[in-house]
Amino acid sequence: MSSAWVESFLWGSLLIVRVFSVALILTVVWGMLGASAKMSKNWLLRRVANIYTSVFRGTPELLVVLILYFGSAITLTWLVKLVNPDVKFVDIPPFWAGALAISLIVGAYATETFRGALQGIDAGQTEAARTLGLTRWQIFAYVELPQMWRLALPGLGNHMTSIIKDTALLSVIGVEEITYTAEMATALTGKPFSMYMIVAGIYLCFTTLVVFSVARLETRANRYLVKSR
Amino acid sequence: MKMFSFNLVRSQLPAWARPAAMALVLAVTSVAPVAAQETLKAATDCAYFPFSFRDTDGALKGYEVDLGEEMARRANFKIEWVCQKFDGLIPSLLSNKFDIILSTMSITDERRKSIDFSVSYRVSVGQFVGPKGKVQKLFNADGTPNPAGFKDLRVGLARATTYDNWMQAKVPDATLVRYDTDVQMYLELKAGRVDVLMTNPLKIYLEFLSKPDGGGFEVIGPQIKDEKYFGIGVGAGVRKGNEALLKRIDTALNDMKKDGTLERYSKKYFPFTIY
Repeated sequence: MSSAWVESFLWGSLLIVRVFSVALILTVVWGMLGASAKMSKNWLLRRVANIYTSVFRGTPELLVVLILYFGSAITLTWLVKLVNPDVKFVDIPPFWAGALAISLIVGAYATETFRGALQGIDAGQTEAARTLGLTRWQIFAYVELPQMWRLALPGLGNHMTSIIKDTALLSVIGVEEITYTAEMATALTGKPFSMYMIVAGIYLCFTTLVVFSVARLETRANRYLVKSR
Repeated sequence: MKMFSFNLVRSQLPAWARPAAMALVLAVTSVAPVAAQETLKAATDCAYFPFSFRDTDGALKGYEVDLGEEMARRANFKIEWVCQKFDGLIPSLLSNKFDIILSTMSITDERRKSIDFSVSYRVSVGQFVGPKGKVQKLFNADGTPNPAGFKDLRVGLARATTYDNWMQAKVPDATLVRYDTDVQMYLELKAGRVDVLMTNPLKIYLEFLSKPDGGGFEVIGPQIKDEKYFGIGVGAGVRKGNEALLKRIDTALNDMKKDGTLERYSKKYFPFTIY
């Protein structure tokens, strides 16, 4: 394999890290917002959150990526053309459109994980905190969040591997990720199997790293329970 | 124009929003369309040997890349290549991400509903392939298939393809053996369980005839052009409403067919012409 392909695979791996970082932060944001909305007393918020999770869990991921990218590009181009008719095309960077699309999809699953975790906290905990006179925000930050974190981690670990694997979808909107690199290399070398094995190896490295990190975090989050046993 | 939109923004927005709006307007209006020579973006798959592919140094090469560069030179524009996977080609073209598709896209009525195509620069044809020197008289002198020549012949082809349809229509008495994959079909030809194959000459050349396995086999008879069955071929795609550009592309392509340029590009990768 020539150095050009090695370089392409390295850039592609870096891309996975970049998409993962952006999408993970956004996923947690969407997930927390969604979970809070689902447990809100306001029916409108609950309705909106339900529509969000149904739509993004119920449509093919590839379709979400396509719609978000092309839909936003066409809309933005149309808007800018109103100001300056000479502009041909406003390109949303495919990286950001892709990371956003992945975070919205995985965020819909994370919503349910976080909701389950929040509901899994013993009601006595929040009641006790309220009795002590803690504010709503204090209850959330010091009582609920540390305990839900422990319950949400296993599910969140799955969502993190989903984010990594979903990066393979992004070549359709013009992001040169490693599956596409493998296809380009195959076109020349005629060795699809070895090329795809390289891709599988790279993905496996990243997901293994995530699985191990999450396992460490779980041990840490459960440390006070282990001791009490 | 610039001053006008600038003032418009200034007069109607609250003070805090003005800097942002100004920046937006300036950014947008500074995209100047005027250039000495127009640059058009052309999208190609970059993963389809030998039509468009990256060589070991990562440079873009192939029949469509040669053709695109020469076409741009003749039609007087600069070409800038974009790698885009096949699935995203038409939506990206329609959203103005690039201006021309040069990516082995067959001209079909379905696709013509959303984009326009140039004249074809690569054929879609059928071709018989068999052992060297053994099979004769498949065709009459006028190029039509000769049913008597197919007597006692077993013809292998891929199931439910245009080649299948063509054989059934043109040589209804022939004995057909249908396969699910092309690779299976090549192995059967090699093993002698079928006498000839009816298939796509470009594909079988790349996958079989040019390989050690395919030694001893050759194409038989002419390339069969039949638009009704095989389609018109592969063309360059542009957005609808670009008649002027399309005309320049067509003129360039037609000239390149006439003066042997496309023949030269074909022969870089195939022993026969492919346009």
